Amino acid sequence: MRDTPLSNCERDFLLKAIQEKKRLDGRQTYDYRSIKISFGTDYGCCFVDLGKTRIMAQVSCELITPKENRPNEGLIFFNIELSPMASPAFEMGRQSELLVKLNRQLERCLRNSKCIDTESLCVVSGEKVWQIRVDVHLLNHDGNLMDAASIAAIAALCHFRRPDVGIQGEEVTVYSTEERDPIPLSIYHMPICVSFSFFQQGTYLLVDPCEREERVMDGLLMIAMNKHREICSIQSSGGIMLLKDQVLRCSKIASVKVSEITELINKALENDKKARKTGGKFGFAESLPQERITALKTDVSPVEMSDVKEKANEIVQRAEVPPQTVPSPVLTAPGTGQVGEGLENSWGLKEEEEEEEEEEEEEEDETVELKMDETDSPGPRSVCAVFHGHSWQDGTE
Amino acid sequence: GMAANMRLPTIRKQVSLSSSLSALDGKDLVVPGDVITSDTGFMRGHGTYMDEEKLTASVAGEVERVNKLICVRPLKTRFNGEVGDVVVGRITEVQQKRWKVDTNSRLDSVLLLSSVNLPGGELRRRSAEDELTMRDYLQEGDLISAEVQSVFSDGALSLHTRSLKYGKLGQGVLVQLSPSLIKRQKTHFHNLPCGASIILGNNGFVWLYPTPGHQDEEAGGYYTSLEPVSLSDREVISRLRNCLLALGAHKVLLYDTSVLYCYESSLPHQIKDILKPEVMEEIVMMTRQKLVELEG
Repeated sequence: MRDTPLSNCERDFLLKAIQEKKRLDGRQTYDYRSIKISFGTDYGCCFVDLGKTRIMAQVSCELITPKENRPNEGLIFFNIELSPMASPAFEMGRQSELLVKLNRQLERCLRNSKCIDTESLCVVSGEKVWQIRVDVHLLNHDGNLMDAASIAAIAALCHFRRPDVGIQGEEVTVYSTEERDPIPLSIYHMPICVSFSFFQQGTYLLVDPCEREERVMDGLLMIAMNKHREICSIQSSGGIMLLKDQVLRCSKIASVKVSEITELINKALENDKKARKTGGKFGFAESLPQERITALKTDVSPVEMSDVKEKANEIVQRAEVPPQTVPSPVLTAPGTGQVGEGLENSWGLKEEEEEEEEEEEEEEDETVELKMDETDSPGPRSVCAVFHGHSWQDGTE
Repeated sequence: GMAANMRLPTIRKQVSLSSSLSALDGKDLVVPGDVITSDTGFMRGHGTYMDEEKLTASVAGEVERVNKLICVRPLKTRFNGEVGDVVVGRITEVQQKRWKVDTNSRLDSVLLLSSVNLPGGELRRRSAEDELTMRDYLQEGDLISAEVQSVFSDGALSLHTRSLKYGKLGQGVLVQLSPSLIKRQKTHFHNLPCGASIILGNNGFVWLYPTPGHQDEEAGGYYTSLEPVSLSDREVISRLRNCLLALGAHKVLLYDTSVLYCYESSLPHQIKDILKPEVMEEIVMMTRQKLVELEG
């Protein structure tokens, strides 16, 4: 099924916002979305969340006969699948252009960079070698599939353990996981892909485009790099003309991002290793949010606001004293209790009162954090914050 | 700078069916997997399948029985067009001698070059030059109003704009809702007394636009006025749009009367407040009351 087409209004809005250095989710030009890496109970299974883009990578291995011209080397096979659950535009079994492009780029990034020592995968030269298979499944498409896929693939490869092999003369024994601990793959370096999207013929650049931004971009530059500042692959698509210094600038940004992401992957691997060693719980079940009150909790995110203090002071000075509420229940008669006082139910006025109460709390803080106010009167909770600057489209403007 | 409202998530109240109009009494609602009947004497229609001699529903909707034929009409579905339906669609592709239009159906609809009124309104054969200048009339991203002329064997709709009331849409607001909420009426073009006009497309796309003054109609629907729309008109249209979203959220059948009543009920509130859940509930409740009074 075809994806809903982007309307002209949305396209114009996005391009105009990018011209004013504004992004839909409030990020800066060079900001990545929050990356979350989690591993499963099996070795080699990895989930990566890049904002709302969700990718799963699974590594498995098999003993096969090697290629004739390379009898000492193991084989690595990559496969990306665009699942129909990721986007209505993807159909199972349909070989789309995007799929071919992603597969090619992942192969160039990981295979041609020789990040995995294939000679260590040899068991019996000319007869038996390990074939490592990396399956990458896209679960949700919200832009920047290549970066997420490369992070998932390399994290899964680092996490994977292959069965130990013993050779005694002519006999080769493959030990199961119960007999002998499986051994990790020998990985030299971790190449990560960083995507740069260009708009208005290369005038504006954004790192980590989300799905909407991808729809209006002119071209894409993908740089695969490792933390030692070695470029593993570089590809420009979309047919835009890039200047030399633009490409150089992108590669500098990429090296910064890659070192951050590599650190993140290493930390995730460390945490997983620690959890397995100490016998703690690990795997996806633990990384999923529980059905608790804090399940909807999100991290404190910085919001751009400049003259919050001034405006809050103005409004607070004009505000009335909030009504005194009784925080603890009052027993009026045996068997009945009362919490709070009845307020007059006037539509619209009720919310103003609560707004002003909340603002008094906030005047001390520079950054706004959503707090539950205990002394608040029962009713719909609302917090008022004052924003600076942008012209908001509302019906009355 | 302007003040913005933020609120913490709360549990949304269930929209209770009992408070809605009596239209749902006696209707048989099923969900996928529900057994409709074990009687083998019935023929199975759309939305059903045979599961071990039992007739089971495959979509969520109401069961319809016509003599021996049982089918399930889904509550939420893509637009299944029939001949004569008025649709609002967006051009997605310009091909040889035809345009592809997105009308919220399973397949893109087709608008043939021979089915449009050329500017000037004359009836002449489409020349090769017309083919090359197709993009001058309708481009990708343009919105049009059209009527379904016929249905292809694969289910794709063939549209036509061979009347002066159809054609390219100019300045206005598009609201995308479910096709099942649009009531079938004699006419889908209304000039609402509140000061705006509305096209209720059968495919769920509703177009709100400022009521046109007395213009020349010669251009045949391709002349799009770029005159700035006055603030009062824009306010009316914004309010109507928010009312439509409120009605859509509470699954109220949309037709000119219900939209108008909703507009009137929303007047005491500010336009942007209409989007708040509690205000939406209040407005829709008042609209339903007025509609019940109208009937009874």
